[in-house]
Amino acid sequence: MTAPTLPETRSAIAAALERLASLVEDLRRREDRLALVLSLVIGALVGLVVVAFVLLTGRLAAHMYPAGAAGWRRVVVPVLGALVSGILLYRFFPEARGSGIPQTRAAIFIHDGRITLHTVVGKFVCCATSLASGIALGREGPSVHIGSGIASVIARRLGMSQAQVRWLVPVGGAAALAAAFNTPIAAVLFSLEEIMGDLHAPILGSIVLSSTTAWMVLHLVLGDEPLFHVTPYRLVSATELIVYGALGIVGGLGSVGFVKLLLSLRRRFALLPRTGVWWYPTVGGLLVGLLGYFVPAVLGVGYDQVDRVLGGDLVLRTVVLLAVLKAIATAVCYASGNAGGVFGPSMFMGAMMGAAVGAVAHGLLPASTAGPGAYALVGMGTAFAGIIRTPLTSVIMIFEVTRDYTIIVPLMISNLIAFYISQRLQREPLYEALARQDGLHLPSGESRQHAGRLRVNEAIRESPEPLTPDLQLRHALDRVAGSALRSWPVADGDGFLGMVRVSDMEKRAASGAADETIGALLAAVAEREGRSRREPLRFAHVHGDQPLGHALARMGETHHSVLPVVSRANVRLLLGIVTLDDVLTAYGVERADEIAAVEASDD
Amino acid sequence: MTDAAPAPPVGRPLASTGVFLGTFAAILGLIVALLVLDLALARIDREERRRQAANAFVEGRALLAAGRPGDAADRLATATTLERDNVGYGLALAQALLANGKAADAEEILNRLLDRARNDGAVNLTMARLLASTARKSDAKAFYHRAIYGRWGSDSIARRTAARFELIDLLARQRAHEELLAELLPLQSAPADSAALLARLGPLYLRADSPSRAAEAYRALLRRSPSNADAYAGLGEADLALGQFQAGRAAFRSAVRARPSDSSIVRRLRVIDSVLALDPTGRGLSDAARLTRSRALLERTLVALDACAAADTVAADVAVLDSARAERAAPKPRGDLTAVTERKLSLAETLWRMRPADCVLPTGEQSDILELLQRSISR
Repeated sequence: MTAPTLPETRSAIAAALERLASLVEDLRRREDRLALVLSLVIGALVGLVVVAFVLLTGRLAAHMYPAGAAGWRRVVVPVLGALVSGILLYRFFPEARGSGIPQTRAAIFIHDGRITLHTVVGKFVCCATSLASGIALGREGPSVHIGSGIASVIARRLGMSQAQVRWLVPVGGAAALAAAFNTPIAAVLFSLEEIMGDLHAPILGSIVLSSTTAWMVLHLVLGDEPLFHVTPYRLVSATELIVYGALGIVGGLGSVGFVKLLLSLRRRFALLPRTGVWWYPTVGGLLVGLLGYFVPAVLGVGYDQVDRVLGGDLVLRTVVLLAVLKAIATAVCYASGNAGGVFGPSMFMGAMMGAAVGAVAHGLLPASTAGPGAYALVGMGTAFAGIIRTPLTSVIMIFEVTRDYTIIVPLMISNLIAFYISQRLQREPLYEALARQDGLHLPSGESRQHAGRLRVNEAIRESPEPLTPDLQLRHALDRVAGSALRSWPVADGDGFLGMVRVSDMEKRAASGAADETIGALLAAVAEREGRSRREPLRFAHVHGDQPLGHALARMGETHHSVLPVVSRANVRLLLGIVTLDDVLTAYGVERADEIAAVEASDD
Repeated sequence: MTDAAPAPPVGRPLASTGVFLGTFAAILGLIVALLVLDLALARIDREERRRQAANAFVEGRALLAAGRPGDAADRLATATTLERDNVGYGLALAQALLANGKAADAEEILNRLLDRARNDGAVNLTMARLLASTARKSDAKAFYHRAIYGRWGSDSIARRTAARFELIDLLARQRAHEELLAELLPLQSAPADSAALLARLGPLYLRADSPSRAAEAYRALLRRSPSNADAYAGLGEADLALGQFQAGRAAFRSAVRARPSDSSIVRRLRVIDSVLALDPTGRGLSDAARLTRSRALLERTLVALDACAAADTVAADVAVLDSARAERAAPKPRGDLTAVTERKLSLAETLWRMRPADCVLPTGEQSDILELLQRSISR
């Protein structure tokens, strides 16, 4: 084999450069391909940034208030940290305040995916400062904001369309969560369930790519070390499921209590003069410092304590105390305007609540219940479902943390109970309520789901007697006169044939064709709308199990205010009709005539 | 996996090629820089955590040594949380928990450690100790065996021997003679110069009902230290157990010579002298003397059993007891004295064997004499 000559090498390089240029040009002209490439790039970059963020805050915290250090440090450090971050937030980075999840959603739904580099840097600096000083907030929410911001900055820098930038924001958020929490699947679900509020969002592929890339980066740097170390889980007896149900109730009530406390405190802080915004975070710092003086475990994210409680290493009195103090500290820290999230503290409180329930149950029924560690584990998911209100994410997240399938059933039971209680007692989910307090009206994932759950069957009504194809227009118009329906079904002996507009009948009759049959009109309309005679069944229709929104869209497309509801097994079998008014009523929209009637009755 | 975006505007170029390439180059540079930074931070993080864990471990061990197992467990839990892979930290935590009375927690930790280090000698030994302190003695024995044959670091022979002796102590407490002997036999192959080992083996062989091996061990010990009073006393006990009363007396005499101030040895020698003076099976005795000694033995046995409140509660015992009492009250025999002697000895032996397990004899020389006499006639 001979070595290539210089001209051969040159031509090979030139060919490679040409291919590269062609690839770049292709990417420049195909946003969809570029988005996929960026999913990988964003995953890697965000993963590295978040790992740096986590390691930096962890190491700084260990130096700021080391275990066994003098008590005064545990008071002074949070106060100073809150003061510094408060000034930074006030003077330089006002957008970096708070958790980051509502801000990310606001970027997607209000600001066309725009998050500035300034905000990303501010979030990193301010959160690192406050978390390293022991402020009782979490790092996951800020990580999501940072990751989303990085995605937004890159996408805008490359000149991508606003729509594409919006789609890439949750891609960055998923990467951040996968790296911060070591849970790539839960990160995907969280991005869809909470950030996008739509599990069917058409960016699943990109989110999966970025999430797994970030997770691989995490493993490359930190190895296969799980976030929490849990003992192998086991369901000791079937009666334990009752205890897990009780844990769901406790978790649900605890979650509601925490959310209400946080929102109430935040509302009160918002009433204070704006001039003092720079020092309000110090209130949170002082409180957490004073609590930390007596109970050091309140400081910081507290994952070491979670790790210990998962090992069943803390006594009942301690876990109850920690759950209560952490809830107060987190609520005050967040409400006073510190930078940091509630994601981590939710897990902390859940673990403590779970351990408390587990300790009581194990004390009463030692033979038929597992130790408190197992309940702490389920409690984490329960609080997450109750506070963050993402039940699916919480189940998968705990599954990923434990890597144990047997925990799924008790986890689902307690999660759903907590979720239900939280939904009943606190209508608005936490992140939406926080956004609303800031004057942002974000679309609610829950309300979307509720709207998505409405089906055509919920608005269906009985069909009037169909017109027959051989009926003359003059007689047909006599039939429909006096009816509010503006489209009428047509059917022959074999079944339904289509809908005919009253306006079309009137126009045709007015043009002197009153003797024409309904069948002829129907054929003329089909021809006008581009439907061939060989496709007689291609008429506008809906099925009873379809979303009501689909019916609305079909009405818009076909300009029919009435649609036939037909059987899926036989489209010529007319089951009923659905009208525009019925759809609006199902969505809770009052009709003009009803409003008038109400006003008349008021008079 | 390719549903990345909504309707792409194909053909519309994005940023200029320069910006495009520049951005990707900047991202690539950033990724490399961050990777280096992250790896450095991760290394620092690991080292600091390791150092913190080591400090917590030292503090925990000190607290445990100072008799504060609760505080020790707290510090050791911190050490374990910071460095989970360290079996030593986990083991120390389990020991602290065990000392603090939290056996269930300690067992859970030990089980976790065993999942990672199934053959670790120290972990198995701690688990064996934990189980030995509960009712699960048979499980404890299994873990003792794993400890004995497990992996140890430095000084493994001594540690294995120590583990075996712990098991031996457990078996001795359980009076599991056969298992005890099975554990003692491997120790015979211990280095010949281990006098301390021989000194421990002697009494253990006696407890394992193997007096000949005990005598062998004591003789080996005496070859190394000929003036060892304890070894002579042990040899004497082994001879007594073998029924060799004369040899036993000789051994105890040597023991007294080696340590005349030891009152227990002197007392034991006195007992043996008495036994030899009362033994109805001694050689060269006349029939009359043998009868006298057998009558005295029966009398001593009855007196001893009268001290046991439960001695006459079983119907079968009552019949034997009545026969013995009748024999005691019988007039001086005439004719074949040997038959009468044998009957009295047989009754005495039967009574002795039938005594209830909870029959506690009064302590003192008389009881010791009776016990040795019974041992003599049973041979």
